[in-house]
Amino acid sequence: MRRPPVILEGKDMEIEEMQPPAPERTLPHKWLPNDAKPLYSEPGGAGMYLFKSAEEKVRNHALSRVEEGLEVMGFLLGEVFTHDGHEYTVVRDVATTGLESTSVSVRFDPDGFEALFASLECARFRYVLVGWYHSHPGHGCFLSSTDIATQKGMFARPYHTALVVDPVRREMDAFCLVDGEVRRRKFLVYWDEYQNPYYGESVRSRKMRA
Amino acid sequence: MVVRVRVRNAETGATVDMELELENTVEEIIEGVSAYWEKDPGAYVIRRGRRLLRGQQKVQELDVQPNEELELIPDPEGGNR
Repeated sequence: MRRPPVILEGKDMEIEEMQPPAPERTLPHKWLPNDAKPLYSEPGGAGMYLFKSAEEKVRNHALSRVEEGLEVMGFLLGEVFTHDGHEYTVVRDVATTGLESTSVSVRFDPDGFEALFASLECARFRYVLVGWYHSHPGHGCFLSSTDIATQKGMFARPYHTALVVDPVRREMDAFCLVDGEVRRRKFLVYWDEYQNPYYGESVRSRKMRA
Repeated sequence: MVVRVRVRNAETGATVDMELELENTVEEIIEGVSAYWEKDPGAYVIRRGRRLLRGQQKVQELDVQPNEELELIPDPEGGNR
């Protein structure tokens, strides 16, 4: 008689102590809803630092389906760190695939998993799915009852984030669970030295000398 | 004959080492780790590299190598209602 699989040993991931990204290379997102802004004037670091290239992928993904009014979704690939007793995540990339989506719901296309796994395999670091993103085209940024069920079932650790983008209203906001309740999460976009330092600001072209 | 594999929880980076019999199915692996991590087994899939492992596949069909790492991936659902 065969027996079910036996778990021999389990191990939790160790969370590394690390300084968060430097403040001069971080900014609040330019699509932050007005009611989220007071959180950003409070002292303290962010719960999530979103690498600029990952942010662009999320925004462009949402914008790519805006004319059809369809939702999009994907995973946030990152690392978890701690600093001075404060846990935070750094999102370095995102992963997605073909979707089954409407204007009010979204999930991965069952035939799209292997494409999703191909993009996970391409990640050049030992990622953790530190959260997920999805869009609410024209409906604003919040967590619906479906989203909350997903968050509670899959992304319930304090560091997990649900990033929501509304490409119609041009809003982006982040949420997490605190003692089972949905809370807004402070998140910042950050960039490396070689990336565009003019994020969120207008850049005037320089006149060429004759 | 038994095979020992490691399953990684992609949501947390946690791992479990499991002992499998060749007759065990992928579904049983998902049920085992889901119970351990207190997850809904119906909301997860397992990947082996780029391949999705199907629920009814048996360990002997997978040709898993000893100590190979599989990954538990969530299948989330979003909506705005």
